[in-house]
Amino acid sequence: MELDWSVDREGDASLVSCRVRNDGAVPRRVRVESRLDGAVLPPRRGGVPEPGWDAAGVTAVLAPGERRAFGFASVAEPVEPPVAVASAEPVEPGSEAEAGAADGAGNPVRTAVRDLGSPRPPRRAVDGAVPSETRTRANDPEATPERNREDNADDERTISPADPVGAPAGLDAWFAAVEARVERAERLTDADLATATAVVSAAGGLDGVAALDERVASDAERLRALRDRAAALADRAGETDAPTAALERLA
Amino acid sequence: MILAVAGGKGGVGKTTLAYNVAAELDGVAVDADLGMADLPTGRGPDLHDVLAGAADPIETIRAGPVDVVPCGRTLAGARACDLTRLKDAVAALDGERGPVVLDCPAGRRADAGVPLAVADACLLVVSPRAFALADAVRTRELARELDAGLVGCAVNKVTETPPTETIADALGAPAEVVPADPRVERSVAAERPVVTAAPDSEAAAAVRTLARRVPQRADWAREDTAPF
Repeated sequence: MELDWSVDREGDASLVSCRVRNDGAVPRRVRVESRLDGAVLPPRRGGVPEPGWDAAGVTAVLAPGERRAFGFASVAEPVEPPVAVASAEPVEPGSEAEAGAADGAGNPVRTAVRDLGSPRPPRRAVDGAVPSETRTRANDPEATPERNREDNADDERTISPADPVGAPAGLDAWFAAVEARVERAERLTDADLATATAVVSAAGGLDGVAALDERVASDAERLRALRDRAAALADRAGETDAPTAALERLA
Repeated sequence: MILAVAGGKGGVGKTTLAYNVAAELDGVAVDADLGMADLPTGRGPDLHDVLAGAADPIETIRAGPVDVVPCGRTLAGARACDLTRLKDAVAALDGERGPVVLDCPAGRRADAGVPLAVADACLLVVSPRAFALADAVRTRELARELDAGLVGCAVNKVTETPPTETIADALGAPAEVVPADPRVERSVAAERPVVTAAPDSEAAAAVRTLARRVPQRADWAREDTAPF
């Protein structure tokens, strides 16, 4: 077996790649194992590891002369060499079933999840449909608090059509951003030359001003929609009357 | 015994067939259509909760004329589902409650594939229209790949004599004609399975024939050969 490898440190992860070549004259089942002091994070599709991977390495059957590349990540510090060929045994050319079992093809559920398209509705379709704490609590690997923060940041940058009115904190931030834009636009309205020059250079040139103008127009539209919705909700909230006393008597 | 009722195309009557076959088998109908559930729902935990690891499958059984495991209606719930949990959940239902009939979603994504992968056998529902057959054939291929033995197919909502033999040949399983019958259409919403609401109807006879083709034991259905 020929093996060459590389290992890079990227942020908090070690990224290991290697190439294995079967230099023998018969098909061989090769087992490549990580030498890193930490769990192997194998390549995944649909959250399911690719065939042949397990917690310590990968197993694959290589035809004579075949070269195969593998890669994985790990949070452990890099060591050299990061991988080693743990075993390489000749395989009977006829024993395809055995080869398949070693590749993890024996579990149809995992095969289906990995190989068929993901049925999960996109995050954007779900956003705003439920409070974010429900999402985080549910078993959603992408709904980590960190990811939610990123999404909020994104909303602020682009003012997407998705409803940014989630948590009151997000609402405050959005109002602050809108206020800053409106203030800048106000300073440009009927401004003298010196002020205008300062604001234009702060906004990033004339293109920046054009963009600001568009943004402020869309802000105005959204603020009006928000005002109408808030007023309607406030009216409805004012008209409700939960009969607490009556319910207490019944309970 | 775990039976998947699949069909590829939407709107061919998978849910209705699943509900009525579950009635005849005295089993539990599971709404496995995670994104567009349509079996009766109720209060309490549902399949979304089970697949999110938040509920025990047994406590989701909702008793009725046909026992049902309902499915949530929200996109957030569908998004939180981990399909790899379906196998254990369905096995628990099978052990506790007897025959499990899975109402599968349309399409060929993982949410349609995993029920076929966990099922011992499957039943295909096809519309008598020619364009629907292609979808059924593709679903049949998927079922074969995922090792769900095809026990039969239902040609559903039939108004004129359909080319039953052509369909049976294309799918490689006996085809049973289920005539268009308002009592069948209503059966799920009214929770009145046709085998008890109209036992003498042609539709009820077809449902009984389909149910008889479902083997009692799971290992029989796992045989690679077609049952005829």
